[in-house]
Amino acid sequence: MVQFFLESDRVTEFVTHLMDQKPVYAPHRKGRQSFAFDLCANAADAVLDYPRVMQSVKKFFLPPREELLSFNLKENSFAAPAIDPANAVFLGVHAYDLAAVHRLDHNFSKGQPEKNYLARREGAVFVGVSFEPDAFHFSGSVGIDPQSTRGSDIFLTRLLDGYVLEVLTPAGEALMTGFDLPPHEAGKPAAGHFQQHIFVPQDKLSSVMAASYNNEVWAETSAKCVGCGTCNLVCPTCYCFNVEENVDITVTEGNRERSWDGCMLRTFSEVAGGEVFREKVADRQRHRVFRKFKYISDETGEPWCVGCGRCTASCTAGISIVNIVNKLVADYESTVVAPI
Amino acid sequence: MNNNSPVELKDLYLPVMAEIKDVKELTPMETLYTVELPDGAELGHTPGQFVELSMFGVGEAPFSISSSPTRRGVFELGIRKVGMLTEVLAGYEVGQKVGIRGPFGNGIDLEAFKGKDVLIVAGGIGLVPMRSMINYVIDNRDQFGRLIICYGSRSDTELLFTDELAAWEKDPKVEYHVTVDRGSEDWQGKTGVITTLIPGLDLDLANTACCVCGPPIMYRFVLMALKSRGLSDDNIYMSLERRMKCGVGKCGHCQINSSYVCQDGPVYCYTDIKSLQEAL
Repeated sequence: MVQFFLESDRVTEFVTHLMDQKPVYAPHRKGRQSFAFDLCANAADAVLDYPRVMQSVKKFFLPPREELLSFNLKENSFAAPAIDPANAVFLGVHAYDLAAVHRLDHNFSKGQPEKNYLARREGAVFVGVSFEPDAFHFSGSVGIDPQSTRGSDIFLTRLLDGYVLEVLTPAGEALMTGFDLPPHEAGKPAAGHFQQHIFVPQDKLSSVMAASYNNEVWAETSAKCVGCGTCNLVCPTCYCFNVEENVDITVTEGNRERSWDGCMLRTFSEVAGGEVFREKVADRQRHRVFRKFKYISDETGEPWCVGCGRCTASCTAGISIVNIVNKLVADYESTVVAPI
Repeated sequence: MNNNSPVELKDLYLPVMAEIKDVKELTPMETLYTVELPDGAELGHTPGQFVELSMFGVGEAPFSISSSPTRRGVFELGIRKVGMLTEVLAGYEVGQKVGIRGPFGNGIDLEAFKGKDVLIVAGGIGLVPMRSMINYVIDNRDQFGRLIICYGSRSDTELLFTDELAAWEKDPKVEYHVTVDRGSEDWQGKTGVITTLIPGLDLDLANTACCVCGPPIMYRFVLMALKSRGLSDDNIYMSLERRMKCGVGKCGHCQINSSYVCQDGPVYCYTDIKSLQEAL
């Protein structure tokens, strides 16, 4: 793989080059510690050195609110929604968020493939960037290195005075046409160290979960949890949704819309008549954690948690998914004798 | 990305507009709607499957199909007024159109029932989906053994499909048992919960397959009664209710542990769900 050197002073020029070809979405500073992916209007506004964005790039392929159909009440008729392909560059994506996109690709492709998501995914080109693990990242524990290029078309590894730029796919190559860079010979620096770890190999997580259904950690956690669903809201691999109708003020037209929903909310499992199948917060905590480390993972062999740390960083009650899992791991190891 | 071109993918969330051909009050709470797809197309369902019915500006919800696929041209939905959507639907009349998606889900495994005695245990509105299977068996009488129906209702005034119940009672090829939790003064039949019907049944255990449908509370007790009679797990099927919002295994609302009810269910063989702690 040929590596190029992109010096710090040329980053804006590089972003401008990308913007000349396709719309570019990149992290923008929103507050002192808040960053969000936005359409780049000024190349200089793109931020490549950031801890994490509030919402992953999921929001472009599975928008928080999305029209499923529009209707006319007078005519009792409906029309299919317009679904625009992404056809854009996503610049400065961290490896765990790219891993999350690939997990969502699986969820929306398996069984009955979903046109809405898959059409929006079309034409997305990813320029990944390495990250420096902070107090919440733990993606190393689920096999995602800060310098992992998986899923990227172009990848930038941060150096003191710029970036190592690798072109990984034909789509990446096409983007680089007309932008010349000197080769980089010196190799890459070592990836940053994680401060947070799950203390078990990722392929053992499913076994840990299988032994943890009745662990007291669910009740302990639920004593603090207020069931607000923020953890679902910020998770890059949560994709559950609700479906609702909107009607305009003249009661003539409207649409059917899906919106992000969360299994931590009490009403999520409610059926007509009022029965709730996961009534206790503890039941819902377990469901969320099992969704990330067991249910889907048993099919695919990969944890569905990508270790971004958002749910922990955003939790108003200070609940840490890493602490939950490590408590389960400790209990598992103290009760299950490992085969020799 | 996969190689599927999105233009070739099906629109999973677009309904077809189907016409209400008949509306029949079953009780003050429950109504039977007869629905016809455009151009009289067949729904092509299996007993136990469901559709998503929608009304624009109101919403969409899953409903079990109550008619047997053997009764062609139209299909029937038996619907209880329990919420906003069903309240609005109650005002709909013959000739109006509703959106239909489906059929969805895993219906009754008919092959597992063929050649066997069929035992149906239906509690309350659980008779709505089970009626699809009952009429399927009646219409294909030579493919099945005995047809034994156990039906429980809160009271005799809430019994559904009373004309058909009377016909099943008279039919020499149907063994029909009914009980109500609380009978009115006029009630001549049995009183007691549905499980009281099971100990007295004459069952050929090795050759009986059973399907259970009813309110959530009912399953554990019916299961205990069936197990104590010696029915094996692989001959017990259950139709479970959850909130299937999308019907296509995406929205997550219907999940029981790792299983999507709209994909693996709503009808499950008991052997497949006994390890799912959230199922019953």
